Amino acid sequence: MTVVNLQYYAQLREQAGMGGEQLATAAATLRQLYEELCARHDFTLAADALKVAVNAQFCGWDHPLREGDTVVFIPPVAGG
Amino acid sequence: MHFRLASEAFDTAPLRDGLQQPGCGGFCAFEGWVRDSNEGRQVDGLSYEAYAELALAEGERIVEEAIARYGIGDACCVHRTGDLAIGDLAVWVGASAAHRDEAFRACRYIIDEIKHRLPIWKKEHYVTGESAWVACTHAYREHEHESDHAHRHHEPAAAFAPDYSRQLRLREVGEAGQARLAASRVLVIGAGGLGCPVISYLAGAGVGTLGIVDGDRIDASNLHRQTLYGMRDIGELKVDAARRRVTALNPAVQVQTWSKPLDADNAVEVFGQFDLVVECTDDMRSRYLSNDAAVLSGTRLILASVYQYEGQLQVIEPGAACLRCLWPHEPAPDEVGSCVSSGVLGPVPGTLGAMQAMEALKLLLDLPRPREPALLLVNLLDMGMTRLPIDARRGCALHGGCASVARRALERDPGEADIALHFDVLEEALAAGFQLVDLRETKEIIAEPLGVAAARQISSAQILAHAGEFAQGRWLLVCASGRRSAHAARLLRAEGLHQVHSLAGGVSALRVTG
Repeated sequence: MTVVNLQYYAQLREQAGMGGEQLATAAATLRQLYEELCARHDFTLAADALKVAVNAQFCGWDHPLREGDTVVFIPPVAGG
Repeated sequence: MHFRLASEAFDTAPLRDGLQQPGCGGFCAFEGWVRDSNEGRQVDGLSYEAYAELALAEGERIVEEAIARYGIGDACCVHRTGDLAIGDLAVWVGASAAHRDEAFRACRYIIDEIKHRLPIWKKEHYVTGESAWVACTHAYREHEHESDHAHRHHEPAAAFAPDYSRQLRLREVGEAGQARLAASRVLVIGAGGLGCPVISYLAGAGVGTLGIVDGDRIDASNLHRQTLYGMRDIGELKVDAARRRVTALNPAVQVQTWSKPLDADNAVEVFGQFDLVVECTDDMRSRYLSNDAAVLSGTRLILASVYQYEGQLQVIEPGAACLRCLWPHEPAPDEVGSCVSSGVLGPVPGTLGAMQAMEALKLLLDLPRPREPALLLVNLLDMGMTRLPIDARRGCALHGGCASVARRALERDPGEADIALHFDVLEEALAAGFQLVDLRETKEIIAEPLGVAAARQISSAQILAHAGEFAQGRWLLVCASGRRSAHAARLLRAEGLHQVHSLAGGVSALRVTG
């Protein structure tokens, strides 16, 4: 299991009911991790609608997960 | 003394005589009388109650303004308080001037401003025996619509000189920086929660020309976050109220306004007239159009948006990563949330808008700033700020570069005018041969039924799966605000279905006019 730190923004924060959490996961890639989180928090947004960053760098969804990574999920927002 | 309150009936002849001057060739008076009905209710009298101290001071100020504004000989005004019967004189205004034109205008100015600004409350007594305090809502003020030409000879003698001393003191600004600001032209798209702080800070800083684009009118629900406006502005076009506020704040700033959103036909040309564009709408479509127009015109663009307690900020400079480098395609409206559906606290767009104004000044003054493109995430609950650098090589560069991606997007744009159609009532659309498609969720439909039969009910997220059903006939897609239906119509148009339209403004626009 890999322990990662997760941060949620905008709609994801609202749906998760929290701004972030620490999670032990068997997921090997960001895509697998997001699938796990969709089941866990009932996220409604598809991965392709989001940007994801690991340790403050944008990454592709196939990026591998490493112990201690900080993963940030960012939906587009439009309010003004 | 030019203004007074009268608790009993008064004689107007001495007032008129008091305004007579040898140099005056014209006199104009206005009398306001008590009428026997108001908004369909029979009235048999009314009472005026004034906050006397304030009313006297404000009334005096209004008459003095009129005398200075139109350069007239003299003017005065008397307003009744207490109980009045039908036909009684409620207010009297008189103005004398060298020529009749100024006398008419000054008289009109005084009565319009009195109705608008004076702390006097009216209680109507109805023939049914009931009575009610009547709010004096937005008053049309003719002088706001006068051209500059009409009274430019009567402007107050001493012009206001803006004092920039507090910012001139900064070593990085100084006289040279101030001159740069005065020579700059900035376009602000959206005069709402983000746009209000942008407009007021840039006007205050002395940016030479501000362009303002907004098609909306001020609503009471805007006031908690849109700090340029007040209660009396409700119902007015935002660009008109914003222009007035900018002129009041800093008359040295030139204001140009667009009261319709820009579109694929004019955005690149309009952007080309400005040094910098600040995108402040709550509309994804506008943000993508601004992105494409900025890329193609080589104009710097500052984007921001908010969601509840968070915001995002991105500065786009020519040749660097753009919005499409991050999110290549415009997301569907239900993916992005809005202030209407998700809620927002006023200081959230206030903070992000102030940051946009700061970025604008940094660019105009060439202040030190990080050069690599990045997306800034701001969370105002935990006070977290995260700067994520954007790698342009992994964005539009993979699809021919930002400029060719933007050009293709604008060429595909079918133009909103053709897609969005206005109807006062849905019966008109049916009579015109349209079949209706209700894109709202079941709970929305229950809360507000269309009132006429929809041919289909399809959730907006499912629209493409039903594309085949729209090949024949003319279709009007309907949602609450017109946003989901416009997006769905564009998706179907991209599939070659050209007889699909969207109800402009959605069901809520019907309710206002219908």
